[in-house]
Amino acid sequence: MNEKIGVYVCECGPNISDRIEIDRVIEKISSVEGVKVVKKFGLLCSNDGKKYLADEIKKEELTHLVVAACSPREHEQTFMNVCLEAGLNPYLFQLINIREQCAWMISDKEEATRMAIKYILAGISRVTLHRPLLKKELDIISDVLVIGGGISGIEASLSLAGKNRKVYLVEKKESIGGMVKNFSALLPYQGSNLAVIEEKIKQVQNNENIEVLTSSEVEDVLGFLGNFEAVIKSNGDGSVKKEIKIGAVVVATGFSLFNLKDTPQYGYGKIENVLDALEFEKMSASGKILLKNGKPPKSVALIHCVGREEKGYCSKVCCLYSIKFALHLQDKLPVVDVTEFYSDLCLPEKADQDYFEEAKKKGIRFIRADEFEVKDKAGKISVEYKVAGGKKDSIAVDMAILAPAIVPSEDTSKLAEILNLPLDETGFFKEVHEMLDPISTPIEGVYVAGCALGPKNIPESIIQSQAASGKILSSLIPGKKIEPEVKVSEIKEEFCTGCQMCLSVCFYGAISFDEHKGISVVNEAICRGCGSCVGSCPSGAIRSKHFTYPQLYREVLQALR
Amino acid sequence: MSTQTESHKNHTKGVIISAKEGINKAILDIFKKSLEKKCFDAILIPVRVPDTESYAWVLLKDQSLLDEANPLPPVMSVQGAKALSSLTKHGEMTQNIAAILRPCEIRAAVELFKLKQIHLDNISLISIDCPGAMPLSDYVTDPEKYKKRFKNVLDKWGEDDSVRPVCHICNRFSLPSLLPQKSAKTSPAKQDEPNLAIPDLHIGLLGGNKEKIFLIPVNLKGRKILEKLEFKPDDSLNLWENKVNEVQDKKEKRRNEFNQELRKKIEGQEKFTAVFDECLNCHNCMRVCPICYCQQCFFDSASLNLSPETYLSRAEKKGALRFPLDTLLFHLGRMSHMVLSCVSCGACEDACPMSIPVAQIFSLVADQTQKAFDYTPGINKKEPLPLQAFLEDEFLEVETPSEATTPIEVN
Amino acid sequence: MSNVLKIKKGVEQGVNEFLKFLLESEKVKGIFALRKMNENGAVSYSLITHPEELKNAVPFAPLMPVNAGKILSGFTLEKAINEPIAAVLRPCELRAFIELIKRTQGNLDNYLLISSTCGGVYPLKSLTNGRFKEQVSQYWESVKNAEIASDVRPTCAACEYFIPQQADIIIATVGKKDLEKECSIFLNTKKGEEFAKGATGNIVTEEIETKDTSNLRQKREEQKKEDFDKLSKDGFGIKALVKIFAACLSCHGCSKACPICYCTLCDFDSKTHEYSPSSHEIEIEQKGGVRIPPGTLFFHTGRMIHMAVSCVSCGMCSDVCPVNIPVSTIFSKVGNSLQKLFDYLPGKDIEEPVPFGTYKEEEFTEIGEE
Repeated sequence: MNEKIGVYVCECGPNISDRIEIDRVIEKISSVEGVKVVKKFGLLCSNDGKKYLADEIKKEELTHLVVAACSPREHEQTFMNVCLEAGLNPYLFQLINIREQCAWMISDKEEATRMAIKYILAGISRVTLHRPLLKKELDIISDVLVIGGGISGIEASLSLAGKNRKVYLVEKKESIGGMVKNFSALLPYQGSNLAVIEEKIKQVQNNENIEVLTSSEVEDVLGFLGNFEAVIKSNGDGSVKKEIKIGAVVVATGFSLFNLKDTPQYGYGKIENVLDALEFEKMSASGKILLKNGKPPKSVALIHCVGREEKGYCSKVCCLYSIKFALHLQDKLPVVDVTEFYSDLCLPEKADQDYFEEAKKKGIRFIRADEFEVKDKAGKISVEYKVAGGKKDSIAVDMAILAPAIVPSEDTSKLAEILNLPLDETGFFKEVHEMLDPISTPIEGVYVAGCALGPKNIPESIIQSQAASGKILSSLIPGKKIEPEVKVSEIKEEFCTGCQMCLSVCFYGAISFDEHKGISVVNEAICRGCGSCVGSCPSGAIRSKHFTYPQLYREVLQALR
Repeated sequence: MSTQTESHKNHTKGVIISAKEGINKAILDIFKKSLEKKCFDAILIPVRVPDTESYAWVLLKDQSLLDEANPLPPVMSVQGAKALSSLTKHGEMTQNIAAILRPCEIRAAVELFKLKQIHLDNISLISIDCPGAMPLSDYVTDPEKYKKRFKNVLDKWGEDDSVRPVCHICNRFSLPSLLPQKSAKTSPAKQDEPNLAIPDLHIGLLGGNKEKIFLIPVNLKGRKILEKLEFKPDDSLNLWENKVNEVQDKKEKRRNEFNQELRKKIEGQEKFTAVFDECLNCHNCMRVCPICYCQQCFFDSASLNLSPETYLSRAEKKGALRFPLDTLLFHLGRMSHMVLSCVSCGACEDACPMSIPVAQIFSLVADQTQKAFDYTPGINKKEPLPLQAFLEDEFLEVETPSEATTPIEVN
Repeated sequence: MSNVLKIKKGVEQGVNEFLKFLLESEKVKGIFALRKMNENGAVSYSLITHPEELKNAVPFAPLMPVNAGKILSGFTLEKAINEPIAAVLRPCELRAFIELIKRTQGNLDNYLLISSTCGGVYPLKSLTNGRFKEQVSQYWESVKNAEIASDVRPTCAACEYFIPQQADIIIATVGKKDLEKECSIFLNTKKGEEFAKGATGNIVTEEIETKDTSNLRQKREEQKKEDFDKLSKDGFGIKALVKIFAACLSCHGCSKACPICYCTLCDFDSKTHEYSPSSHEIEIEQKGGVRIPPGTLFFHTGRMIHMAVSCVSCGMCSDVCPVNIPVSTIFSKVGNSLQKLFDYLPGKDIEEPVPFGTYKEEEFTEIGEE
């Protein structure tokens, strides 16, 4: 064939040259068909090295470049840039790792040299089949859609608008503020009071960059990072529709409370004066804490962890707010006896332990118990329980406040379908990685912040909103284009029979089904080139652009010779 | 008795129809009536090609074409699910049609539905008790002889071994084995859902002694069809049920024994390779298989082309290299792609020019692998294909290394 | 007249020794020929590189599991084979290979083409009829006596092109009454002579065409006429074809076995020939009924249009047909007519282009004129 392959072996300081007989490698490789030149160089990634390579490419009129050096993770991009500058398509290049995978692993020099030669030969077989792939550039829109007008959505909107991004804040209810608006106070030790949220709401309303759409819901979102199109329906009945173009989405749809009807043993909805936490918040916000008969309660039981066993996780904030309630009750009522029932105490933040101690000092009783039965006994509420360790007991109180588990908000699954986002077993949105990438989703450009991801307190929600904003601000810069992945999958139309196996295994939602043609189609802007679809197609109709069967097969065959 | 009896306790009522003038005539009269009463706009049914002994699927509207139709021909020509797929791969029928298929064809159709190769709206699926089909090559060589033999096959249901080997050991020849088990993922109430139970209507032949046939509505749609035909599904079908159970037990036993014997004959590399000594790599088996739906089979594609040097070096390594290459790769590859949906219809073995027992081998592997995944192909439209469904706790034993493996030394 | 290497051994042994000589002397790196697969008589084409493996080579087994031309084409699709290989194949297989090369589906370089005057092959189903061994011994008697061996493939019984003039080396069998004692290896080309240098045996000059071969040719031509006439005794239009192809399953096995059908995705397997339900619904409105899947005849007539002009009548299609349709005879009949029209013999001359690929201004002008 007409190839002119240039093979350059890097000595890598002494890293490679000490462990591999480079001259022997050069001798062996020189006789391979299609190889025009084989040379060695001290340090190819240095400025001198890069210049050397660029000059060689031009001087020898190379059609393909093979560099035997370190790991692609280190310098694949470096040498690809060299190719680009020298006028050679950067995909007609292969970096062979003879350092981490060879010199650094094999102590016997003979063996290391033999393996290095094998790897290089295999890489040469492969590179001759590379196609000159073209990088693409896409214009982007830097506007952002924030779904949910609670504290998370508000924080995200303000962060983004503060850096001059246009934000569409879509809220299902008639006004923004979310759950926090109902709170009578934030945790006392956090200092501030509700004025903070009011202030933030005002800021949003006054910010020119933020368009607030209340009584609105997202009906559809299509597209990919930098180029989404969303349909927002308003007016409750969806009679008003608005189409917007955005570059990213922040999902901040918050939470709902566990349906207490599923745990009838707590008496909610059957027995008077059994409230849930949200009802109590509203009651205290109104300033009057009263029983149904108009009198203030003299004894209150606060039961934590309602629904914890059923849901299978701890809701993190209820212990804290229950303590808040207890202290609040003591503060507002002249005489009140407060007992807190818990199954485990969750006191994760710096100030929480002290807070708890304070509550105990003030005479609030904490009892570890389970197997609750809340009954109506002669006008009083009898809370029957089993103490951790054995005995059954009960107390009689005027009011019982239940702390229901925090569950995903009602529209979570609908929204997940619209955005093609996965949910985890608990029903909350699933982040890409709990520890290492906690607010990203498999869909590039779509982030989730706040309780939509799972129970958390207000500071955590704010952190996540700011994180999402940060990611968006740095990836979508007005005027700058984005370069989607080049090594994507492609489907050969004639061979696709529309079984949608590929679609069902695509984690990124990059494949869609064309009803008209009856075939599946890859959206190259979303595709990350993971190759799952390639493996799933029994026919081989879907191929990876840079990992084709011939390329891989030749490489492996050569390596096994 | 099998639990299948339980699952169709809902269906012990049906319509007993006289078949004094012959089973075929009784069934065809019902179809004629159904066209008249506009239950369906057209019917998909095997029809004898004039002046020949061959059968072809015909989608017909014209009643007179029913004169040469045969709902249960002595051979399986084109697999019914494949025929249905060529009809509705690219969209839904806008007219209402009925398709009469053998149980294995019904199941294959459901699998193709899961693979998006068939649209099932506006199609009423009618299944029929199936005694098996005669081997295609025997039949085309001497149609008269094998037509006569087929009559005996219908008489001595399950006993005449002149049917294809996979038919002789078939344990899914009637309605109960087309329904999801009660113990499985669906609740009893849901089995009546129009979307779930397939087929819509079943024609029972067993226990009728060739004098009666039984129409059994399987779901709401089936009941509506019978209503339009002015039938009341009030008759008790004990005769049919009992005979089905009797034959079912025999066939289960026979299948197990046969598979055990077969396994011994083909187990191990040497024996298994020898089975395919005569294989031409013609790929007929793949092409007639209803489950093989790829536009171009991977094993026909350019992916398997090699350079001349590679062919030569492979030949040099072995001393002699057989062509076409990769016969075993084709069969094992095809197996890994489709065996979880294999319905043991036997089309593959009929099409093999070298009489290799492909259907028997694939059925053996199918039984084992489907069991491992607790999956029965073709009985539940909503049950996802095993290879598409990710279950975190599945086959953990494959993930954890056994003590038997020693780690490779790397210096 | 050509130079003939005469070996004083029976044909099977003599040819085996000759092949061994080629391999051991390293004149070729491999021998491509039929090889025994089991005791039932099953054979497969194999590329043999070790001389000991030659003991299993049975180049004259009267079976064709696959058209060898298709295999040789597959080897050399990308480029010529890099080392010399001797290929033993039948005349029709060689002609098929040449037809494929005309369509850039193969490369002739580095092949030493060895063929024979061909007595035909048995249908593959013969392996399971229980009398195969007996049939094979009868076969050699017929070959010796230049008679049509009974029960061979119909196309073989009707084949007049059994002397492969395109081969480098031709093993003469037809009419050779002393087959068990002497082996006649015709060195048909200079290349053949080069490769045979050094092989044990005498060189004489002989004519490959003999009275016996002419007699056999005549018999076969008669058989061909008889077969073609029989096929169309009830007509050969659409109605007759419907009946002839009544049992067709549309498996397309014939196309896949055919050496000339080389398309990676046959048009008739592609979406072009898949129809939406509305197409079918229109058909049943207009005609009352439609065969499913549709296009049975369309496939066959379409395939005829695409390849019949190059049909070498090898008979693979009939052999793989699950329903015993005499595809090969049908396509040979149509092929013959087409080839006569263009005065074209497939595989005869590698320089002669395929008729459909050439434009001649003064051709078939009678069709254009009023």
